[in-house]
Amino acid sequence: MKKLIALLLATALSFSLTACGSSESDMDYVKDKGTLVVGITDFEPMDYKDDSGNWIGFDADMAKAFAESLGVEAEFVEIDWDNKIMELDGKTIDCVWNGMTLTDEVTSSMDCSNAYCNNAQIVIVPADKADQYQTTDSLSDLTFAVEAGSAGEEQVSALGLEYTAVKAQADALMEVAAGTSDAAVIDSLMAAAMVGEGTSYENLTYTVGLNSEEYGVGFRKGSDLVDALNQFFADSYKDGSMLECAQTYGVQAAIIEQ
Amino acid sequence: MEQIAEQLPIVVHSLNIGFLQTLKLFFITLAGAFPLGLVIAFGSMSRFRPLSYLTKTIVWIVRGTPLMIQLLIVYYFPGLVLHNPVWGGGETGRFAAASVSFILNYACYFSEIYRGGIQGVPIGQEEAGLVLGMTKRQIFFHVTLLQMIKRIVPPMSNEIITLVKDTSLARIIALQEIIWAGQAFMKGSQGISGAIWPLFFTAVYYLICNGALTILLDRLEKKLDYFK
Amino acid sequence: MPILEVSHIRKYFGQTEVLKDISFSLEQGQALSIIGSSGSGKTTLLRCLNFLERPDEGSIRVNGETLFDAGGQKALSESEIRKRRLHFGLVFQAFHLFPQYTALENVMLAKELLAKELPSYKEDKKRIQAEIREQAKELLSQMGLSDRMENYPHQLSGGQCQRVAIARALALSPDILCFDEPTSALDPELTGEVLKVMRELADQNTTMIIVTHEMAFARDVASQVIFMDDGYILEQGDPHQVLEHPKEERTRQFLIRFTNG
Repeated sequence: MKKLIALLLATALSFSLTACGSSESDMDYVKDKGTLVVGITDFEPMDYKDDSGNWIGFDADMAKAFAESLGVEAEFVEIDWDNKIMELDGKTIDCVWNGMTLTDEVTSSMDCSNAYCNNAQIVIVPADKADQYQTTDSLSDLTFAVEAGSAGEEQVSALGLEYTAVKAQADALMEVAAGTSDAAVIDSLMAAAMVGEGTSYENLTYTVGLNSEEYGVGFRKGSDLVDALNQFFADSYKDGSMLECAQTYGVQAAIIEQ
Repeated sequence: MEQIAEQLPIVVHSLNIGFLQTLKLFFITLAGAFPLGLVIAFGSMSRFRPLSYLTKTIVWIVRGTPLMIQLLIVYYFPGLVLHNPVWGGGETGRFAAASVSFILNYACYFSEIYRGGIQGVPIGQEEAGLVLGMTKRQIFFHVTLLQMIKRIVPPMSNEIITLVKDTSLARIIALQEIIWAGQAFMKGSQGISGAIWPLFFTAVYYLICNGALTILLDRLEKKLDYFK
Repeated sequence: MPILEVSHIRKYFGQTEVLKDISFSLEQGQALSIIGSSGSGKTTLLRCLNFLERPDEGSIRVNGETLFDAGGQKALSESEIRKRRLHFGLVFQAFHLFPQYTALENVMLAKELLAKELPSYKEDKKRIQAEIREQAKELLSQMGLSDRMENYPHQLSGGQCQRVAIARALALSPDILCFDEPTSALDPELTGEVLKVMRELADQNTTMIIVTHEMAFARDVASQVIFMDDGYILEQGDPHQVLEHPKEERTRQFLIRFTNG
């Protein structure tokens, strides 16, 4: 038993040591491999597959361009969003580039690029009840479903609203559709694609925006790729290629000046 | 309904790809866990104490912790603690890590079933073989093996059917099996977004697969019914 | 020269001495009955003869050849033990037939496996197998089971199973056939059919050692009776003498207890 405890302690210790980061340059590591492994989820319009199965989207295209500027290949890997920090620290991916809201959780566990895109957390309710919930004050008697660890969860808990944390934003929508929760809070970019006419959630609609927030790209702590990406963002904003790319996917209004 | 009919071909195509991954994991796990389970069973029955204690401890740990945690440890531990991400980030590495976790996990469960099967054959069978001048090897292959198989088929069937469903756990390390494929349409994928039904539709695949397995395993059990 | 000579066998299970200086001999073609209460060491003695247990002291000789000597030899290899074991056959109390084989296959299996080890097996396969099958059929007929050859053990009564087991032991033509309480696991109405075939074997001068509680059978069939008590041979000799006029008080008590209850 004693040995077991010792083993567990040793494991925990090595985990905490890892958190301090290693001294090797991330840039060199990526260049040696020749690939920048980009952790994503299937998330239109940021990262999604075209008809022939290639990853496209505003984030995907920018990531490909950034990798090219480094002289490496971008490799896209779908990850479980809950495990993004483990994926980064375990070096199974090199960055998280997937419309990631810069929350406290994200900025404290990764080194992040400058914000490049605006987003908002908005409230989703059944369309027939939408009239009653057009202000923040009117939300107090609703029960919410939000993605665990998301910016939406931060918002509802700050407002002191009653909520259930579920695994994904899509699950939060399903809660509302199934009537197990009264309302959900999700990203506005996502809501545009998932709710209303032509989706499975025709009977849902969005009402109040709770806050505005920003998207950024996450790297391992201490990574020198952060500066490289900030420089890349600045350059591509200046020469107009960033806006051009944003127009392709209809997100130009949300782009932040670099 | 109309909408579903439109989406069906795309969804089915995507689910088929996911289910192929599910089946691959299923068969590789069986192929690895059947023999490894036997090795572990013999290890835990060994008269060499350190070996039997070691294998029993491994079985205790593996059966005593959730498979989901084991998947996370197997996949992330090398990179996080050893600073050597042996599996890599790609799909092949994730599949390999999932296979290792599933084989080890299921081998431990199988080993207990084997042990029950081996110890359930009366000692008199071996003694009868011995006094008839058979070697230990002949006794195992011509006398005890079939009796052991007969004993392990029912509990093994249970585990095999559970395995089909357990493969869905592998999506914790982002292995894109069928449930992952189904969930993708909730967020949006291939022009279909906010569709819930594909996730529930995956159940049909599991049902058909397990239905076929049940028939197959029942047939095997019936085949061994000629003796008692 | 006696066919079997057992000298000064001792056997311990941990600290307990279960066989204490056992010596006896047996002539070719004779039947020996061993009686005694349970726990007296009868079964252990049979198991020692069949190499299922190793005696700690003493020796066993068959036809003048030393099969076992606790003092004078290195550990035997498995193949060496197999060879020596084949001098004996053993019929168990609980039959231990192989459930996945028919009666006929049960009788044939061991002989087939032995035949496969012969160098001439490959060229002569068909003939050898036919011979083994013929011999097995003959043995089963002799046991009165001609119409049961294709049945599996679970389709047979206890008495039929035990007769298959006897045929299975006889198939390897052992020098000495041992029975370990062959009728104790049977319903009373089924013991008769098993005792009948054993009686026939005795009439054909099969050399046999029979551990039994069937006193009448022992008296009629055996040419020698041994009474064992607490690991010792307490009394041995002519069956009429031992069973009807025992010298020892313990033997008398055992016989009284046994006939009364």
